[in-house]
Amino acid sequence: MKRMLILLLLAGMVLGSCKKYLAVNTSPNTPTTVPPSVLLPTTEIGIAFANSNDLDRATSAIMQQIAGVANQTQGYDVYNFSGAFDNQWNSELYGGSVNNCVAMINLDSATSPAYSGIAKLEMAYAFSILTDIWGDVPYSQAGQGNKYIYPRFDKVQDIYQGNPSLGITSLFDLVNSGLADLAKTSTLKPKTDDLVYGGDLTKWTRVGNTLLLKFAIMLTNVNPTMAKSVITSVLSGNNYINSNSLDFEVPFGTATGNQNALYNFNYINRPGDQMLSSRFLALEQSLNDTLRLAKFFTKPNGVFTGFNNGSNAPAPPQATRSQYGSYLIAPVANPTQLGAAPIRLLTNFQVNFILAEAALILGTPGDPNAYYQAGIQASMQKIGMAQSDINAYFIANPNVVTLTGTTQQKLQQIITQKYIAFTGNGIEVFDDYRRTGYPILALPLNPGGDDPTVIPTRLPYTNGELSTNPNAPNPRPLVDVKLWWAK
Amino acid sequence: MRTLLLLLCSCLLLFDHLQAQNRTITGKITDNNGRPVPGASVTIKSTRRGTSSGPDGVFSIPVPPNSNTLVISAVGWTSKEVEIGDQTSITVTLTAKENTLSEVVVTSLGIARDKRSLGYATQQLKADQIADKGQVNLVSAMEGKVAGVNITGASGGAGASVNINIRGITSFTRSNQPLFVVDGIPISNDVDRTNGGPNGTLGDQQPANRALDLDLNNIESINILKGPAAAVLYGSRAAAGAIIITTKKGGVNGKSEIVASTAYSQQYMEGLPQVQNAYGQGSAGIYNPASGNSWGPKFGSTPSVANGLLVNGQPVPFKAYPNNINDFFQTGTISDNSLIINGGDAKQNFTLSGGYLTQNGILPNTSLKRANVKFAGNTIFRNKIKVGGVVSFFNTLQTGILDGNGASSLAVVEGLARSIDLTSTRVLGTYQNPDGTNNWPIPGQDNPYYDAYMNPLKSNLYRIIGNVNLGYDLFPWLNINYRLGIDAYTDRRKQIFAISSARVPAGQDLESDIYRSELNGDLIITAHKNDFLTKDLNFSALLGQNINQRRFQVVTVEADALAFSGFYNTSVGSNFAIGSAESTTLQRLLGYYGQLSFAWRGYLYLEATARADESSTLSTSKNTFFYPSVNAGFVFTDAFHINSGILSYGKLRANISKVGTDAPPYLLANTYQKSTYGNNVANFSFPDGAIAGFTLNPTIAPNVLSPEFVTSYEIGTNLGFWNNRATLDATYYNTVSTSQIFSVGIPPSTGFTTKTVNAGKMTNKGVELTLSVEPVVTHNFRWDIIGNFTRNVNKVVSIFPGITRFSIPGSAFIGSIPSIQVGQPYGVIIGGLIPRDSTTGARLINPGTGVYATTIANQVLANPNPDYILGISNTVRYKSLSLGFTFNFIKGGQVLSFTAASYKSRGAWVETGKDRDKPWTLPGEILSNGKYTQNNIQIPAQTYWQTLGGLQSEFNVYDATVLRLQDVTLGYDLPASIIKSWKINYVRISVFANNVFHIAPNTFIDPEINTQGAGNIRGLDLQGTPNARTIGGSLKVSF
Repeated sequence: MKRMLILLLLAGMVLGSCKKYLAVNTSPNTPTTVPPSVLLPTTEIGIAFANSNDLDRATSAIMQQIAGVANQTQGYDVYNFSGAFDNQWNSELYGGSVNNCVAMINLDSATSPAYSGIAKLEMAYAFSILTDIWGDVPYSQAGQGNKYIYPRFDKVQDIYQGNPSLGITSLFDLVNSGLADLAKTSTLKPKTDDLVYGGDLTKWTRVGNTLLLKFAIMLTNVNPTMAKSVITSVLSGNNYINSNSLDFEVPFGTATGNQNALYNFNYINRPGDQMLSSRFLALEQSLNDTLRLAKFFTKPNGVFTGFNNGSNAPAPPQATRSQYGSYLIAPVANPTQLGAAPIRLLTNFQVNFILAEAALILGTPGDPNAYYQAGIQASMQKIGMAQSDINAYFIANPNVVTLTGTTQQKLQQIITQKYIAFTGNGIEVFDDYRRTGYPILALPLNPGGDDPTVIPTRLPYTNGELSTNPNAPNPRPLVDVKLWWAK
Repeated sequence: MRTLLLLLCSCLLLFDHLQAQNRTITGKITDNNGRPVPGASVTIKSTRRGTSSGPDGVFSIPVPPNSNTLVISAVGWTSKEVEIGDQTSITVTLTAKENTLSEVVVTSLGIARDKRSLGYATQQLKADQIADKGQVNLVSAMEGKVAGVNITGASGGAGASVNINIRGITSFTRSNQPLFVVDGIPISNDVDRTNGGPNGTLGDQQPANRALDLDLNNIESINILKGPAAAVLYGSRAAAGAIIITTKKGGVNGKSEIVASTAYSQQYMEGLPQVQNAYGQGSAGIYNPASGNSWGPKFGSTPSVANGLLVNGQPVPFKAYPNNINDFFQTGTISDNSLIINGGDAKQNFTLSGGYLTQNGILPNTSLKRANVKFAGNTIFRNKIKVGGVVSFFNTLQTGILDGNGASSLAVVEGLARSIDLTSTRVLGTYQNPDGTNNWPIPGQDNPYYDAYMNPLKSNLYRIIGNVNLGYDLFPWLNINYRLGIDAYTDRRKQIFAISSARVPAGQDLESDIYRSELNGDLIITAHKNDFLTKDLNFSALLGQNINQRRFQVVTVEADALAFSGFYNTSVGSNFAIGSAESTTLQRLLGYYGQLSFAWRGYLYLEATARADESSTLSTSKNTFFYPSVNAGFVFTDAFHINSGILSYGKLRANISKVGTDAPPYLLANTYQKSTYGNNVANFSFPDGAIAGFTLNPTIAPNVLSPEFVTSYEIGTNLGFWNNRATLDATYYNTVSTSQIFSVGIPPSTGFTTKTVNAGKMTNKGVELTLSVEPVVTHNFRWDIIGNFTRNVNKVVSIFPGITRFSIPGSAFIGSIPSIQVGQPYGVIIGGLIPRDSTTGARLINPGTGVYATTIANQVLANPNPDYILGISNTVRYKSLSLGFTFNFIKGGQVLSFTAASYKSRGAWVETGKDRDKPWTLPGEILSNGKYTQNNIQIPAQTYWQTLGGLQSEFNVYDATVLRLQDVTLGYDLPASIIKSWKINYVRISVFANNVFHIAPNTFIDPEINTQGAGNIRGLDLQGTPNARTIGGSLKVSF
């Protein structure tokens, strides 16, 4: 009997409830929901990091502002892009920026339209980088995880102009939708988590309108009518970035891990990889613009030392090389805060050059020359040149600071000045170059890659996307295939 | 709680009253070596009353007052009659019959079984096959001695991990190391890695696999359960096989014993290439003190401004230091002491043991210290209740230095420029500038001594492994047993990067606490009945229940950007946000299992098992999974009474089994995590000052997650010839792994890069042969040979629709990525190959440069899987002398060697010193205008060798075929005539060596190296620690 009792006891113990015992699979390490206030900083840093990291190095080398002397940048200099840009596509743009913007947009629309609005503007900016660099890219189905596991590649023209039959909202309408959200009442509002404007939504509205200008000017070759109407409309609204103090620039810090990528790469992790291009040096010297150049690049021992793009010659000793200078590595007001320079995404000088070009080419309101000069002034002020030096430059170089000659010559002046002002933002100058053909560049020495005879007109799709997405173009277009909006 | 109840119940039983008429005899049946003989029949002479011995050889039987003799019989053993006299407890030693192959082996759940009854392959190693050979790591000690097992050490570094795979790799991403079980309790053999700075684990300090904590002196036997069939009762945890370790126990032979042993050995670096000593530091024949290469001027050149040897009119000191590489390595030492005290008899016994090992590695500032103490006791009272317990305490300290390519001392030393004098920078102060910073003149490198002494990783591990065991013989034929075991350790680590270190120039102090524990409870009910239903049919059944809980936690405080040098506490840091982290996992499993075994007349065995597991980590709808197995053994020589002069024993066996495995925890939900951007060239990590940032986890949760399964088919035979003077154990197996749990790459434009799925299929087919021969046996002389042959062919059949390749999780260098690729064996290394002329196969040359054309990416660069492994152990005994030696031959497999690349590209290898002044031409063809012509473009020697020395180049992939004299041991037992007067049981003196020499016909490096250590990534020599040769001696005394 006793034995039976023991058996029964045992049976009872073994068959006891186990449901709770096994219910331990909720991660204590990673949350399933987070407030939007921790997503916004991620996306702001994301688009700025994407703008200033490897894509910037490749486009700045293609645009011959920097020259590669070692490792990847040296390859980019001669158009060897094999195996590159997966990190940018995967983890800076679609992952990091786009996916977290989608998460913010998908939040309760009643409580957080402020976040949704900002997210739509950021997402439009991220997609513009993607389509401007790579052409046709996943857009309308991108960043939505399981919903579209093999996102379709939308055409550049559909991304810019929309295509209702395919359910594609244009970048312009995406921005307009964001602007509409910003106008709504929002229970949750960003504060310090908005690294750029500290939660000032009126400034975000200016970002939206400025994005419309940036997108519109891309259409000068292919849809000038639309470009003109958008720009005219923004001008009449007069609510865009029209002062350096309103610039859309993402701040960084001095602490390790918080530095901007330009400083972190060029001064901390890869100080020997790239330096000033001797071609850019020659351009700046020809324009007597070395005061400004000294803000963009260092001048060791009082001398600029450049390196010819694609050269096989030994690079000069590291200590003598001109590298990214104070404007790109530290805030202008605090030149000792190394690594803390903001990454400038949309600027007053950019707006002025856009408006100068639009007035010149499209006939939008305003005087091209006035906008042109305002752009140069804004750039020189922004980099911290003394007003007296700026005035002296204007007086000494009237040919440079005044639009002269044919429309094409004037356009060349505008884009060349925009090119100089945007030093450190290779993506913007690469866009303008392919759209206008300015500034005039020659092939580097020893070019290679897909087509050594032309300066690339796009970058190759990444291996990661090509190998996983059956909707990706196969074979990929070579880098000499022009984009829809290109000249 | 459940366990507590069980204990309470068992206490109640103590008050049970015994029947008065009969006396109960308890006893233990053992073989000559004191190992239990289970399943032996015990009958009272002239009656039909009887019982049989349990798994531990123990029996108890009520004996009527008028009976005085027990008859003990077991298949394969000579029967024995024992007079009881007035004893209540007896130990019976049985002698194996000559013409049977009988061996008691420990199987799943610690159950001792007669090997002849098993329908699957197992192999046993005894203490003398692994001990006294100078080995520190238990896993290394097994190399070459077991068929079906592939063992590769990370290096000769102190405490470096050792990889072991049984019957190939059966899971895409889960650990493929077998389950380690010590005295019935699963323990951790995990490798806990601490990133070696920004290189991730690619350049870490080679941490240990945790079986390293075990003391080889204290091991009685190791049983290797090779296939899923053998290990099925362990369930999910043993899908990759199991290593069943039995430690030494008291009560063997019913006497007390004290065994003390001491061993000392020295270690020497082994396996680095020969160097040239004709040319020194520089490039293109010009001296350059900032160059790490030996492409400078020839030694003895007249100093000139042109060759860089004349600076300011003064000649630069410039001569060869032929031993500068070897001098960096030091003579390692290992001191190993142990004391074991065993006492008691079959009923009550205890053991107390302790061990202490100290090792100073072959690299400066590397060491291992290992201490362990064990106490175990067992008792039987009221003749029915067995209570036992063991607790072992371990303290292991390891100091390691950075490894691997890029800014480690090894990366500097392996291929060091021939004119650099290292000896002058060996002591404190000489590898530093006056301000304490690294003084090395070559950018991106550290002075190797600076790196070794200033950037160590220290690990301090405390570990407890213990179990309690309570058994009760409810009926003579029914036993109930509960075993509760725990393995828990805390490993406190500190990693330092001094300010100005090449890897982390701003300095770093990293404190990392790793905690891991595993709790296992098993309730096992066994029943055994001889002559069940009918005469000659023996039957046993087992019913069990298992609870398993595994916890893991790592908490790291990473202090970056140190304020000053020389004092390492996190308070010196100024940034704590980059690597500080907390990660905790908990997973649980409930298992229910059963086994039915039938034995017919001692020659036909049939067994069926089934297990159902419930796991916390799978989708609720799929978290209960069932898997069965059947196995059969047939001793045809007994069945058909075959006993010719030649064939003395023959058995056929076969089995089919299936094992399911659960997933790692927390895969079922989409989550957010702290944001970071970038990689080692530029990066950003939150928090941004005081602002936190989170991002979506890049892996999408699965729709449903079900278990992985491995299905195995195995047939085999055991044959004995010439009265078993020669025996052959042959096995063929075929395993199919399906429903793999892994993260498959999805288009990153989804915003995610991977999705967790169940998919894929992989097969392993293989042959295992163990041939034992005793060619000579005389009274004084005996020679034993054991040969083990292993061949495993792995093939990845499918991954996921549309996916043909993905990388094995872990760190990798872009350009040489260990991968899983459809149609290839597991673990091929994917990289770039030079394009070739499709007709001649010649490599294409770039006509502009004379070097090879740009590689085509995503090709199979190397395959680390060997064709076969052959291990041959010999033991020769002459009187009291014994000589043992083991050869291990590994055929095939490939290794990608950064070490070889470095020796070539840096102009250090002996071949690079030849014909430097002559022009060189790379073999290949030039394609121009659609026509191929022989390459005739002349290039300098430096360009030639640097082309062949490209880190991830196909020229640094070597065939890893290697023959090695694994170990040699010469032992001498002092004659009994001498020691008897000292009241000593035995005194054994041994001298030994391991890794005595190797011959690798197809490479100039030692190809048996695996810098990434234990894990699924194999075949990479990332300029890690080289191998070590050990030579030493030991003294063992038993009182």
